[in-house]
Amino acid sequence: MADPSASTRKVRSGPSELARREERTAFWLLVPSLLIILLIAFYPLGQVFRESFQQREFASGVAGEWVGLRNYQQLLSLTIRELPAKVDDDGNPIVEDGQIQYESWVRILPREPQRFRSVGQFSFLGTRYVLGATEPAFIRAVWDTLVFTVVAVFSETVLGMIIALALTAKFFGRSAMRAAMLVPWAVITAVSARIWEWMLQPTRAGLFNTLGAAFGLNDGRTNFFGDVATQLPSMIVMDVWKTTPFMALLLLAGLSTIPKELYEAARVDGANPIRQFFSITLPLLMPTLAVALIFRTLDSLRVFDIFQVVLGRQRYSMASYAQDMLINVRDVGMSSAASVVIFVLILIFAVSYIRILGVETK
Amino acid sequence: MSRGAPRVFARIGFWILIILIFVYLMFPFYWALVSALKTQRELIQTPATLWPANVTFQNFRAVLGSETFLRALWNSTVVSVAVTVLSLAVGSFAGYALGKMRFRGKTPSLYLILAMTMFPQIAVLAGLYAVIRVIGMPAIPSMIISYMLFTLPFTAWVLTSFFRGLPDSLLQAAQVDGATMMQSFVYVLLPLTAPALVTTGLLAFIQAWNEYLFALTFTTIEAQARTVPVAIALFTGEIARQEPFGEIMAAAVIVTIPLVILVLVFQNRIVEGLTAGSVKG
Repeated sequence: MADPSASTRKVRSGPSELARREERTAFWLLVPSLLIILLIAFYPLGQVFRESFQQREFASGVAGEWVGLRNYQQLLSLTIRELPAKVDDDGNPIVEDGQIQYESWVRILPREPQRFRSVGQFSFLGTRYVLGATEPAFIRAVWDTLVFTVVAVFSETVLGMIIALALTAKFFGRSAMRAAMLVPWAVITAVSARIWEWMLQPTRAGLFNTLGAAFGLNDGRTNFFGDVATQLPSMIVMDVWKTTPFMALLLLAGLSTIPKELYEAARVDGANPIRQFFSITLPLLMPTLAVALIFRTLDSLRVFDIFQVVLGRQRYSMASYAQDMLINVRDVGMSSAASVVIFVLILIFAVSYIRILGVETK
Repeated sequence: MSRGAPRVFARIGFWILIILIFVYLMFPFYWALVSALKTQRELIQTPATLWPANVTFQNFRAVLGSETFLRALWNSTVVSVAVTVLSLAVGSFAGYALGKMRFRGKTPSLYLILAMTMFPQIAVLAGLYAVIRVIGMPAIPSMIISYMLFTLPFTAWVLTSFFRGLPDSLLQAAQVDGATMMQSFVYVLLPLTAPALVTTGLLAFIQAWNEYLFALTFTTIEAQARTVPVAIALFTGEIARQEPFGEIMAAAVIVTIPLVILVLVFQNRIVEGLTAGSVKG
């Protein structure tokens, strides 16, 4: 008499043996990728995290010294102090050229336990304040990177949308246009920075000063990279040129998934193109737009190439600050702490990105 | 007739927009080319001229005769090709497993790969460079390995969705014929993946060709290993009195032209790959 359970077990052991084999094969196929990720991402990330609590000179061969949170404290300490007006002997505020003269921040900002230096001043409800930091260069780098990101990503989205909408029309030379869009994207970023650096020369040997002088917009001597006021706008213009095509391509792909019948129906209902854009195009493009926005935001937050090539040590992005701290200042602890701050900032955005994109596992 | 005029205006407006977009996209490249063709005297002349008065190839000759630049081209080629080949090999293994197999830990692996596509390079810079210095690895292999940080996850991610799209029946047929998982991978699936491999390979190549942060850092004390972006960023001519923008522009044109050709030839592939990486569906 045959044991029925034995035969079912035998039948079942077939597929499960196959499944086990599949599992083993999958494991071995994934090992190289996981090893590489471990080696070049997780291990160095752990090192950076560890070093961020130490003080060590780069490549000195001397072991690091544990300093706890001191690097972070140095990087992130902020204070806001009221800046009193300068007063004369009678206690009246001194006014020069109609401007109230304020005390110098040097006298107001604390010097203990660490010396605070000015990041900037602002007025609020008639009182003058000064923002002080122990590491003004980093606070400025964070602020500049955030401003850069917001303005650049916004401009790219608007421009990219205009280009994408124009390219949905069928016209002679459309594929040539699409090829032209890939040119800025394909140019090496560091190289494009040098091309723009040349176009933005501080004399009329540069294109923009020539044009500016010809049209009477400036005196032909704007020092785009030397003047604090024009540094960030110049960076933004460079970045927008380089990345708008990418945005436009993504939006174009999203636009092509919107069914044409919707527009026909809207036209029949008498909706004008602007109405159509806001009630059909924009809502249906939202998923693509959200993904593109987060993707570009992440990219922009870690901007390095154009800042390093053009501005060098004049003004930093977060990433160029961390790299400079490592290679030129050779302060491993501060560089690592800055890297961790950047990592955490980007992580927050990345998590939201993954939430939106999701993972299909089937 | 009354409807005719607005339509003509709309057409003209549309074409003006298209031409503006085209000029905006291409102008910096045009300017680099024109500047590269100018004489040194015309370059520093004010105001700048829109067209070279005397076309000269002096700048191109100088750059192509510069050993630093030629070495940088060679270094970039070696690094980019090696990174592309390695990423495709390793990434297609991972893509096959993640796209076509069932195993425990698949979802976390997918999330890991997706998260890795957004990993900021700067976060590991200090750690990676420390490791490289401790084991004394030269800059070129260091770049090859560390560039996988951004090429591998992307390659694996795109290939995973590609493999997932291939019909299961193909695999089953191969298995019925007695092929192992690896045999069906190499002989059945891989040939079908060729188009996806070309797309992801191109994108990996371009990313590696473009990379600046690691290249700049790893070659600080090894100048002869510099790649094109670093060489051009740090370019100082033979006569170091002024920044030799004519030569820099010539170098910029030379390194951009191969990419423009690649882009023109593989236009559709690249667009497909770019959007696959970030648009769901």
